[in-house]
Amino acid sequence: MNEEEVRYIVCAVRGRPKSRATVTRAIDLALKHRARLTFLHVMDAEFLEHATIGPLSVIYDELNKMGQFTMMILCDRASRRGVSEVDYVVVEGNIRDQIERFILSSQADLVVMGKPQPGIPKSIFKENEIQAYIRQLEDQAKVRIVQVSPDH
Amino acid sequence: MNSRFLRTLLVLIMVGSILLLVIPGAHAQGETPAIERLITGKVVDKQGQPVESADVTLDVSGEINPIAQVTTQSDGRYTLIVPSSDSIPENLSIRIQRAHFKNFDMKLGSSVISPLRSGEAVAMPMITLTRQINLAFWIATLTFLIMLLLMAADKLHNTLAALVGASIIFAFSYSSALLGQGLFIFNFQGAIKYVDWNVIFLVMGMMIIIAVVERTGIFQWLALVAYQLSGGRAWLLVTILMIITGITSAFLDNVTTMLLMTPITVQIALALGINPLALLMPEVMASNVIGISTLIGTPTNILIGSYANISFNGFLANLTPGVILAMVGLVIYSQYAYRQELQSASEVSPLLLEKLSERAHITEPVHLRKVGWVGAGMLVLFIFGENLNLVPAVTALIGATVLLVWIKPDIEEMIEAVDWTTLVFFIALFIVVGAIQEVGLISMIADLIARLVGGSLILTMLTVIWVSALISTVIANIPFTAAMLPVIGYLSVIVPGAHSKVLFFSLAVGSALGGNGSLIGASANMVTAGISERAGYPISYIYFLKKGFPALLITVGLATVWLLLRFLVLSPPPA
Repeated sequence: MNEEEVRYIVCAVRGRPKSRATVTRAIDLALKHRARLTFLHVMDAEFLEHATIGPLSVIYDELNKMGQFTMMILCDRASRRGVSEVDYVVVEGNIRDQIERFILSSQADLVVMGKPQPGIPKSIFKENEIQAYIRQLEDQAKVRIVQVSPDH
Repeated sequence: MNSRFLRTLLVLIMVGSILLLVIPGAHAQGETPAIERLITGKVVDKQGQPVESADVTLDVSGEINPIAQVTTQSDGRYTLIVPSSDSIPENLSIRIQRAHFKNFDMKLGSSVISPLRSGEAVAMPMITLTRQINLAFWIATLTFLIMLLLMAADKLHNTLAALVGASIIFAFSYSSALLGQGLFIFNFQGAIKYVDWNVIFLVMGMMIIIAVVERTGIFQWLALVAYQLSGGRAWLLVTILMIITGITSAFLDNVTTMLLMTPITVQIALALGINPLALLMPEVMASNVIGISTLIGTPTNILIGSYANISFNGFLANLTPGVILAMVGLVIYSQYAYRQELQSASEVSPLLLEKLSERAHITEPVHLRKVGWVGAGMLVLFIFGENLNLVPAVTALIGATVLLVWIKPDIEEMIEAVDWTTLVFFIALFIVVGAIQEVGLISMIADLIARLVGGSLILTMLTVIWVSALISTVIANIPFTAAMLPVIGYLSVIVPGAHSKVLFFSLAVGSALGGNGSLIGASANMVTAGISERAGYPISYIYFLKKGFPALLITVGLATVWLLLRFLVLSPPPA
């Protein structure tokens, strides 16, 4: 894919401080290509299955709002830096599945996401799995994926 | 047959029937009325606790069939009825048999036999049974440990782990008929006796109320109020949030409180540009501390209150001053531990503040008002209900029902809102803990503690508080507390001066405040960490330990000072 053709960038991110480099890169690319930028946040509430709690709908709603707020902050940051077209999407579910589903349906030209941090056992993607996942996604969605190290 | 004859016959039958009913022995004409001769007594274990369901038989040596037999009641008492038709032989003996105890045989002397012969009732001296360690003991003990391990390692859902434990207990008990009596722990009826239905119904009632409350948006609104009151000063914000979260946790479940407070707290922290953990950690620790000031504040208090018959007022009066003391310490510690993060607060962007305000509003004001009225009524019943012998479970059920009738929500939705997995967890847990109590593990632990502390109340208090606190950092405090209750019950009998229930308050303090020592110490910690991680701020086990363990030492230390003051200085036990 030619870089000049980039019109829509998706940045899949949680919003944590460690993903600052990923967000910065996505903003830089959006500015460079004058592309639309969407921050994608997947709210994975699987951990609640082990909690002894009752009604989950209210909790899911609150988690969703929290995800939206986190993304709103990123949008604010992108706007301040001059990205003219920026928005966010928050979806619920399994992170891998939801990223894949969104990218396949969004017709993004470029996807920016963080690299798994070495030695972090709770990373969504293990270091040895991420490359296979990215290759599969690039093939399926015909999209280029840029990975950013946390210490970028 | 004419009608006059029929009427006469009917009258005769009726008169005859009445005579049969009102004249004793009229149906057994010629028999002398039976005068029953009684032998009464009580069976206890080595800790002086009554032994229920023990078979007591009155035997004549050389004869297979006993002349009388009975089972001990829940207070350990029995009454043997010796039929008057039998002559009283010389060689009488009483035999007591009970699973998990050694058989007890006692030959009756003339001091018992003579009064029996003259038709008098005889009161036997108290009989103490000795425990027997058999295969069932090890099965129950291992099952309990496996259940705890499964929970601690998060290999199985807590409810499933407890169900697995209960099933193992039953599987061995019921296979004892085939494989030998040594495997028998208890049958279903025996197991059900250990289930504390007061706890089950209290938790269920409170769950319904919480389901209504959480839909009103009160938590989110309170968090925003905290921000507004603080005027953006982070040190004040964290203090107000700790107080609000803590007070809410005193009346509602800690987990629900943190589930609803965490997302909005994260948003406020992000808006202020500070690390959300600087607000979340103090909040969850405050929730664990203030929760113990009321009967309904923590599941452990519900368990303790029900077992030891400690009222709502009992917790308020005996623990609240200690909780306030511990909270002062916790607030100071939190300010110190997060001083750098709290200093980095910046001006909130008007856009973000507007979004926060939009979200943090009361969504159902009418429902909230009704919840307020019902809550106030419940509080009155919790406080004054003990004068009417009103158990807290009934108050919670009445409150939940009034709320449902008044609000008229979708009843299906409300019943679904009850967390049945938690209720099943409690039932299965009671059965597993009942099993280790049945086989004697609990009394063994109680004996061991009593020997270690040598009958000193102060040493027992310190042991209960600190051991509970430290153990609660590694295993879930609900099963731990459930297992400790009978131990504390025994210790309260054995240790001089412990009858004031001081050891139960010590357990409440240790098991709940111990939850602050590690990530897995309390369910509220786990859900807070889960949500925080979703926002991009994970709380690792080590991180929680580093921040939480000093808080444990401070809060448990201060609460210990209060308990010692309250029970040894302000109202010391009688000499």
